Amino acid sequence: MLEIRNLTKIYDDGTVALHNVSFTVPDGEFLVVIGLSGSGKSTLLRCINRLIDPTEGQILWDGVDITALQGDDLRRMRRKIGMVFQQFNLVKRSTVMTNVMAGRLGYAPTWRSITNQFDEADRKRAQSALKRMGITDQANKRADELSGGQQQRVGIARTLMQEPKLILADEPVASLDPVLAHSILQHLESLNREDGITIVCSLHYLDLVQRYSTSVIGLRDGQVVYQGNKKQILRMTDAEFKSIYGEEAERMGGISGDLAADDEDSAGEEATE
Amino acid sequence: MSEKVQTVEEKPSLVPPVLAGLLSLVVPGLGHMLARQFRKGLVLLLVFLSAAGLWIWRVSDAARREVGFTAMFKKAIQLQPILLIILVVLVLLYLLIAYDAYKTAAKAKSNSFLLWVFVLASFFILGWQIGEIRPDVLVRDGKNSLPLLMRVLWPWEKALYYPEELLIGSADVVIPCTENAEVPPRVVEEGDPYVTVTPNCGDLSEIAGAEGTKLRMVGSNFAPNDETEIWWVDQVRNEFRYRYGGEYVKIVTDENGSFEMDVIIPYRVIPTTGGKGYAVWQVEARQVASVGEPVLSEELKLSVEKMIETIFLGMMSTVFGVILSIPVSFIASRNLMSANWLTKTIYMVVRTILNIIRSIESLVWAVIAIIAVGLGPFAGILALTVHSIAALGKLYSEAIESIDHGPVEAIQATGANWLQTVWYAVIPQIVPPFVSFTIYRWDINVRMSTVIGMVGGGGIGYLLIQWIRLLDYRSAGIAIWFIAFTVAILDYVSSEIRNRFV
Repeated sequence: MLEIRNLTKIYDDGTVALHNVSFTVPDGEFLVVIGLSGSGKSTLLRCINRLIDPTEGQILWDGVDITALQGDDLRRMRRKIGMVFQQFNLVKRSTVMTNVMAGRLGYAPTWRSITNQFDEADRKRAQSALKRMGITDQANKRADELSGGQQQRVGIARTLMQEPKLILADEPVASLDPVLAHSILQHLESLNREDGITIVCSLHYLDLVQRYSTSVIGLRDGQVVYQGNKKQILRMTDAEFKSIYGEEAERMGGISGDLAADDEDSAGEEATE
Repeated sequence: MSEKVQTVEEKPSLVPPVLAGLLSLVVPGLGHMLARQFRKGLVLLLVFLSAAGLWIWRVSDAARREVGFTAMFKKAIQLQPILLIILVVLVLLYLLIAYDAYKTAAKAKSNSFLLWVFVLASFFILGWQIGEIRPDVLVRDGKNSLPLLMRVLWPWEKALYYPEELLIGSADVVIPCTENAEVPPRVVEEGDPYVTVTPNCGDLSEIAGAEGTKLRMVGSNFAPNDETEIWWVDQVRNEFRYRYGGEYVKIVTDENGSFEMDVIIPYRVIPTTGGKGYAVWQVEARQVASVGEPVLSEELKLSVEKMIETIFLGMMSTVFGVILSIPVSFIASRNLMSANWLTKTIYMVVRTILNIIRSIESLVWAVIAIIAVGLGPFAGILALTVHSIAALGKLYSEAIESIDHGPVEAIQATGANWLQTVWYAVIPQIVPPFVSFTIYRWDINVRMSTVIGMVGGGGIGYLLIQWIRLLDYRSAGIAIWFIAFTVAILDYVSSEIRNRFV
């Protein structure tokens, strides 16, 4: 279980990115974080694996306070948390295989890893990760020769090498077209359902949120303004929507709670199928 | 104008148009200032004052020895008519400023284009005069220097050397004829050139004009069809060339290498005969004949040697520069050094030092290095290394600063440590720019090392400047050709390597 307690992040320039954020994520959850650009979604995700150090508050993961970890303990914690990025963040000039193997760095001894001597088990693990993502035949290409959707699959394969218990996905589909977006999210969904990996993912489009999430929190100006489970998301009202995205926001796509309220059961079922 | 339509920019002139024009005649630009165009007026004033000041300096410089303004002016115009043109332009500019002030004050839609053209024109002509630009000299003297230039452009006659041999045949002449002269017998080896004279004694010519004894001189075994000089050697081994009627005497041998001619014993103040009463002279026939196959000339060999030295000079300084600038570049990168105030201070200090070193040319560093380690290639290597560290340190650190932070973040997120992160996320990103900059620097270093010898830093530049000073344009041409070859090949190689890596 991941428990966020009173998390606050203030940047050096005085920007308050997160203000007193608290929520819990039970194991096996597909939590989606929604909110406008600049609402603190990325900061929140990066606080969880300490790419950003929070100013105040605690992050408890299975009872261990992540915010207090240092050095090797921090790295050991990080290797159990995978991360997927909007811009994929692959090393473009390296091969797909090298990028995937990089996911194993947290486990490999330093000297062996920089001389590229990974053991046989790691290589097999990489093969199966590539196979699972359907990119086995791309293994020896340079990462920048791949299309966006393929690059994101390499990104997920990299996190699979970590054998993670939790995956943080920072707008993983914001740079992809709708078809690819579904494909990538289905991969994440299968990891969530079949492997029981907890997912914390930020998303923009409400239809994707309603389709894939099992629970949602909404951030606005660094504060939690909405929390809901699967049922509640499907019934999100315009008022709730505007509390997250602001008064001037207009809803596009997804299923409106106002409509769902009229014909609750049918709308709800359609969406979950 | 009514109050209503007036905006801040359209405030009326403080003075009437005519007055603005007249004031501009007193102080150029003053009219504009009072017509609420203060900045333009100030610029015009400064422009006019500096142009006029430069003109006065050039006039006094041209007629340095004259006293009094009129005399100076007359002399200067006479020597440098272009100064008169500048004066005309300046006067026109002066009038134009006044006219423009009038127009500005009158709020007429004036076009200042002509004014600025005159401003630019006056400085252009001043530049022409100060730079002593004289295309006529280029055309006239350029034509005269064509033969010299041709020697530089096509110096290859000097690339080969034809070995030469001096052939000498000589015979003894006893002066005057006497019975008891002791002349050692001559031994002539088979095939060597030899000369006989008949008779083999006689009297000198006299200063009054009476000719001395005429001798029949026969020579054999010389190089055929070649020019032969006649020399005398007196009893104290003074050599002098034989003249007849004021001209040096030469004879061309026949196809068998033989010749036959008359010589007259010349006039000479006789040094002491040593009490013997006679002197033994030699008459010699001398030939400079080329023998054997042509060989590569000394200049060509020297050029090749020094060119190799030059290439290695550039290579070594690049290697040292790269090795030393990599660590420097890491502490000169803002993104790696922004952790706290201490690292930021180090960053600032290192950057400043790099900028100072880089702004001093390698030639200057070479002079400094020569003071330290003396003349020779090591001084050149030191100079180029110092400059390379500064230049590469900056380029490398900028490459490090411009890496994509995304992969670094992603690798960190996998639990990798610092070394693994640098190895997997930073190095792959900086390899292409590093390779590219390194080759670029190697290119510059070899090119610089061709001239660093001019101040004594080793390499081919040393030969080049020496030959130019000796007016040996053919040898200089050879050196220049080698430099051009090397730089062209280097250009090609470096672009090939760059294409492979980047």
